[in-house]
Amino acid sequence: MASRVLAQCVRSYTQRSARIIFGNITARAAAVSLSNQRHFCFNARSQRKALTAQIKVSSPLVQLCRQYGDLPPLTLDTIRERVLYVLKLYDKINPEKLTVASHFMKDLGLDSLDQVEIIMAMEDEFGFEIPDAEAEKLMTPQEIVQYIADKKDVYE
Amino acid sequence: MAASRLPPAALTLKQFLQRQKVLCLYRTLLRTIRLVPNEADRQYLTSWARDEFKRNRGAKEEDAIRMMVSQGNLHLQELQRTLQLAKS
Repeated sequence: MASRVLAQCVRSYTQRSARIIFGNITARAAAVSLSNQRHFCFNARSQRKALTAQIKVSSPLVQLCRQYGDLPPLTLDTIRERVLYVLKLYDKINPEKLTVASHFMKDLGLDSLDQVEIIMAMEDEFGFEIPDAEAEKLMTPQEIVQYIADKKDVYE
Repeated sequence: MAASRLPPAALTLKQFLQRQKVLCLYRTLLRTIRLVPNEADRQYLTSWARDEFKRNRGAKEEDAIRMMVSQGNLHLQELQRTLQLAKS
């Protein structure tokens, strides 16, 4: 009974240019439910054959069209670019002296208040909070990139 | 912040703790200022906070530093209270 209902549903979907995912799932579910039944009635068998025939016919024309919303995936390079971009915007840093390994206090001559501001700017850029204990240890852009990659599970 | 720029000079425990308190206060202040709804107010407050902290950067006596930290805490609480009132 359930298989008959399922078969009818699938038929109506395939008749309207179906999505392949729906088609696959319902076909598999129909096949599974049919195979689980112990008593095959004559109708079910013929319906199953009709089902598979219909899906085979329509599958080459069906396309994937499921859509999701999310931010672009983070890679180490994009993180590094964004970190350096934010640092270049900071007015106390000389953009020529800025490299990935330049130390904030030793090379760029900033002090701990500036470092706090820089870490807050990174929090704004990447959208998550960095706790105090870990924030005060980040002294070079490379360390910041490494920390963010650790937190966001970015591997390369 | 006493001796915060010289790497070989070791801070005593009390100085180290005070330095941590100052930085923690600064960070909390900046985070609270972020929540202010008006953009112009936010910029005014951030520049005010920055100037205040930078102006007293050279203070070396423990008592003076402690007084300034507690004053900063009062400012922070006032700001938080105002924000809560504005939100409700």
